[in-house]
Amino acid sequence: MTRRSIILYWLLLLLPTLAIATAALRLIGYEQERMDRQALSSAGDRAQAVAESIQIAVESVEDEIAQSLERIPPEKLVESLVGWEKSNPIIRNVFVWKPGIGLEYPAPGASATSEEARFITRYAALFSGRIPWRSAHVETTGRRPADVSRMEASAQPSRTVRETEQSNLVQSVRRLRVGQREREGSRAAAKKGGWIPWYVENRLHILGWVRRGGEVYGVELELMTLLSRLVAAFPEPETDGIVFSLTDGEGNILHQAGRALVEPARKPDIAVPLAPQLPHWQVVVFLGDHTGTLRQSGGFMILGSLLLAIFVAAILLGGGMLTWQAHRNMIDAARKTSFVSNVSHELKTPLTSIRMYAELLNEGRIKDAQKTRRYLEVIVAETNRLTRLVNNVLDFSRLEQGRMKYNIEDIDLTAYLPSILETHRLPIQEAGLALQMVLPGHPVTVSADRDALNQVLLNIIDNAVKYAAEGGELVVDLRMSDAVCELRLMDRGPGVPPAHRKSIFEKFHRVDDSLTTRKPGTGLGLSISRRMLRDLGGDLLYEPRDSGGSSFVLVFPQHLT
Amino acid sequence: MNYPKSTQGRLRTTTLTVLITALLVWPVLIGADVGAQRDPKVTCKVETDRGVLPANAPQKVVVKVTLGGAFPEDKSRRPPVNLAIVLDRSGSMTGEKLHNAKEAAIEALKRLSPRDVFSVVVYDHIVETVAPAQRARNLEEVASRIRRIQARGNTALFAGVSQGAAEIRKNLDGKYFHRIILLSDGLANVGPSTPEDLARLGAALLKEDISVTTVGVGTDYNEDLMAALAKRSDGNTYFVESANDLPRIFSAELGDVLSVVAKKAEVIIECPDGVKPLRIIGRDGRIRGRTAEVSLHQLYGKQEKHVFIEMEVSAEKSGKEMEIASARVSYVNPIDGKRAASLARARARFSDDRAEVDRSVNMSVQEDFAVNLSAVAQERAISLADKGKTDEAVEVLNRSADAMHNMGKIYNNKTLLERAQQIRKQAGQIAEEGMTRRQRKVLRTDSYQIQQQQAPR
Repeated sequence: MTRRSIILYWLLLLLPTLAIATAALRLIGYEQERMDRQALSSAGDRAQAVAESIQIAVESVEDEIAQSLERIPPEKLVESLVGWEKSNPIIRNVFVWKPGIGLEYPAPGASATSEEARFITRYAALFSGRIPWRSAHVETTGRRPADVSRMEASAQPSRTVRETEQSNLVQSVRRLRVGQREREGSRAAAKKGGWIPWYVENRLHILGWVRRGGEVYGVELELMTLLSRLVAAFPEPETDGIVFSLTDGEGNILHQAGRALVEPARKPDIAVPLAPQLPHWQVVVFLGDHTGTLRQSGGFMILGSLLLAIFVAAILLGGGMLTWQAHRNMIDAARKTSFVSNVSHELKTPLTSIRMYAELLNEGRIKDAQKTRRYLEVIVAETNRLTRLVNNVLDFSRLEQGRMKYNIEDIDLTAYLPSILETHRLPIQEAGLALQMVLPGHPVTVSADRDALNQVLLNIIDNAVKYAAEGGELVVDLRMSDAVCELRLMDRGPGVPPAHRKSIFEKFHRVDDSLTTRKPGTGLGLSISRRMLRDLGGDLLYEPRDSGGSSFVLVFPQHLT
Repeated sequence: MNYPKSTQGRLRTTTLTVLITALLVWPVLIGADVGAQRDPKVTCKVETDRGVLPANAPQKVVVKVTLGGAFPEDKSRRPPVNLAIVLDRSGSMTGEKLHNAKEAAIEALKRLSPRDVFSVVVYDHIVETVAPAQRARNLEEVASRIRRIQARGNTALFAGVSQGAAEIRKNLDGKYFHRIILLSDGLANVGPSTPEDLARLGAALLKEDISVTTVGVGTDYNEDLMAALAKRSDGNTYFVESANDLPRIFSAELGDVLSVVAKKAEVIIECPDGVKPLRIIGRDGRIRGRTAEVSLHQLYGKQEKHVFIEMEVSAEKSGKEMEIASARVSYVNPIDGKRAASLARARARFSDDRAEVDRSVNMSVQEDFAVNLSAVAQERAISLADKGKTDEAVEVLNRSADAMHNMGKIYNNKTLLERAQQIRKQAGQIAEEGMTRRQRKVLRTDSYQIQQQQAPR
C-alpha cells in the first residue's frame, strides 16, 4: 500500500460523499421550497375560507335584517325600529326618511342624542337627497346568498375542517339576526332595498335600507359588534409561524390570530379582500420572514442540513480513521520488515565471526597460544553480542506483552559502574574510545534490577561504540541532585539530528542517515532501555552535548535511606 | 259546656279542618310574606331645587330624580352571577402588577358561590381563554392555571373583551347577572383602540345585558378608553395606582354585582304645559318635546342614582300650585325577570315672597346638582388640557370650585365646601405641574364615579 493508493482511496471516499451531500442538500432545498409553497398555498386557502365565511356571515346577517325590515308593518315602523335599536347589539342606528321631507326619525335638531346627531351628519349626503338611494352590492329582494345554502347542505368530506371553521364564524354572527326567520316561500313582495358601505373619515360604516312606497327606512350596522363576534370566532392558525389577521382599509390590524409579533410596517404575504360586503377590509396572512422572527418553515432546511452535515462528517471521519490506521499499519509493516532484516544481519555477523574462529581452532592449526587466546576472546565477545541481541528481542517481546519481571535490589552505583564498565572495556578500547569515569566520593544507592541496568548500559555503550567511535571519548558521569540521581554517558560523536531526538526512543526507529545505514541495528535498544527505566521509576533522556556529541541521561529516583 | 253530642262532633271536625288548613296554608302565607319582603324594590322620588318658585317670571328649575334600591340582606336569594375576568398580560404587566392582578382574580373567584358561572380570559396581542365558562366549583385547578400566566407581548384589548363576552354569551339564556371585569395597564395597540370604538362595543354589550367594569392599573393606561367602555356598558371604572389595591377593588366590584336590584331601568320624565326640559346634566339621554328619557340600566342595592334635568318654567301667578314633572321608572326585576315600575311627581308653588322662595331651597338637590356640575367641569377641563389649553382648564376648575364654595357658604354646607377645596387643589396641581397622566386619571375616574354614582361604598 503506497501513499498514492491511500490518497486514491481517500478520494474515492471523499468525492462520492461530497457528491451525495451536494445532491441531498439540493433535494432538501427543493423540499423546503415545496413545503414553503405548500404552506403558502394552504395558508392562502385558509385565508380564502376565512374571508368567504366572513362574507357569508355578513351577507347572511344583512340578508336577514333586510328581510326583517321588509316585514315591519307600516303602522308600527318607528316603534319597531326603535325597539331594535334598543335591544339588538348589531343595530347602531335606525332611520326613517321621506322624499321631499327628509329625515323623519331621528329628528334632526335638539332632540337628537349625540349619537343620533353624529349619525345624521355622517349620512348627510344621503339624507339631504344629494345622493340617490342605491345599493352598493347586495340586492335584498328575495335573494338568499347561494353560498349559505350550499354551505349548509354540502358535505364534501375533504372540506370538513374548512366548513366547521366557516360555520363557526357564520354562526357567531348570525345569532345577531333580527326577529324570526321566514320560510323560503313567503318572501314574495319585491321591494327595493340594499346595503351601502359608507366611508367617513377612513372608517367603514354600513347602512341598510328598504324603500316602501316613497318612504325609505333602515338601519346602520354596529360594526364593533360584528367585529367583536368575528374576533371571538376567528380561527387560530395551525402552526406557530403563521399569523392570520383582519385588517381595515388603512391596513391596521383589527384582529390577529397567531402567536408571532408582526412589525407595524410589514406587508402581508397573502391578502384576501372582503369586498363587497366590507370594502377595503382584508383577511391577510403573514408567513415567516427571513429574519427569523416569524419563520418556522425554515426548520426543515436547518434540520436536514444538520443531519446531512453529521452524515458527511461521520463518513469522512470514519474514512479518515481507516486511512490513518492503514497508514500506521503500513509504517509498522515496513519497520517490521526492516527489523527482521536488521536482526538477521545482526545475528549473522557475530555468528560468522564465531564460526570462523571456532573452525580455525577446531582444525588445530593455530598453535600460537596467544593467538588462540585472542580467537577465544573474539568468540566470547561475539557470543556476548549475540546474547545481548537475543536478550533485547526477548525483552522487547516481554515488554510488549507486559510480562517483564524485575528483580529490584539496592545497587550502589559507585561500586557497580566500574565493574560493569570493566566487562565492556574490550569493545570500548577496540573502538578507540577513551573511557573516563566521574564518580562522587560517597556511595550512591538506587533501587533497580541489575540485569535491566546491564542491558540499558550495554545498549548505550554499544551505540557509542557503533556511532561515536571517531569522537574518541566516552565520559561516564554520575551526579546527585535534590530529588534524583543522574547518570550521564557522553560521547563526542555526531549527535542525534534535532528531528529525531524524540523518535529515537520509539520502537524500530532508526535515524535513517548514511551513518546508521552502514551499521547494523534493530532500532530496539533505546526504546527498550527507556521503557525499562520508566518501569523502574526513572527515565532515559537525550541531551545534545555542549560542543558536539550526545549525552544520554539515565535518571533514577533518589533512593530513600 | 254542654253541647249536644252531634254539635260537639261537628265542632271538633270544624276545629280540625281549620287547624289542618291553617297548618297547610301557614307556611305558604309566611313564605309569601317573606317573599314580598325580600323582593328588591326601586323607589322613585322627584324633587325641585326649590319647593316654592318665584312668581311672574319665566325661570330655570333643576329637577332631581332619585332612584333608590333596597335589597334584602339575605344573599342566598341573589341571582347567580356570570362573570368573565379579562386580564391584560402584556409585557408592561410584568412583575408585581400581574402578580397582584392574578391574586385578585383568584380572590374574586373564591367569593363566587357554586351557582355562579365564571370564565377567565387573558390577552396580549392574542387572546387565550384560561378558563372557559364554567360553574364556580373546583377552583384550585383554575387558580393554578391563573398563577402560571406570564407577561408578554402587546395589548389586544378589544379582542380580549370580545372573547370575555363570548364566554359570557355561553350562559346568556340563564337568569344570571352578566359582568366582565377588565384589568389593563396599557394602551390598546392591537385591534380597535379608540375610546369611541370601545364605547360602541360597550353600548352593544349592554344591549345583551353585559356590563364591563374596567380597572386601570398604573399611570400608562388610556383612561378615556377604559371610562368610555365602562360608561356605555354601565359598568364601573377604577384607577388603581398601587397594585396592592386590586383585591379590594375586585371584592367591592363583586359586592356591587351581587346586589343588583334592578336591570334595564329607564326613566321617563314628563312635564305639563308650561314646563320644558332643557338639558340632562351629566348623563346621556334624549329630550323630545316635553319628555326626557334616560336609561340607567342597573341599580345596586343601598344605592341612589340621580338624574338632573334643567327645565324651563313659564311665568305663573303667585299662589298657583302645579305639577312640575312626573317621573316613571320602569325596570326589570332581576329575580323574576318581570318588568315593574314606580312613579313619582314633583309639585311646586309660586310665590311673590322672596324670603319664602329662599327658605324653600332643597339642600340635597342643590348639593348633588352642584357636585354634578363640578364633574361636568372636570370633564371639560380634561378636554381643554388635551388641546393644550392648560390655563383654561385650570380656570374652568377654579370657577367651578368658586361656585361651589359660594353655594357652600350661603347654605353653610360642609360637603360643598370640602368638594370646592378638593377641586381647587386639583386645579392648583394642574397649574403647577400641568395635566399629568396621574392627574388626568384622577379627574376622569372622579367625574365618572360622580356622574354614574357607581363608586363602591
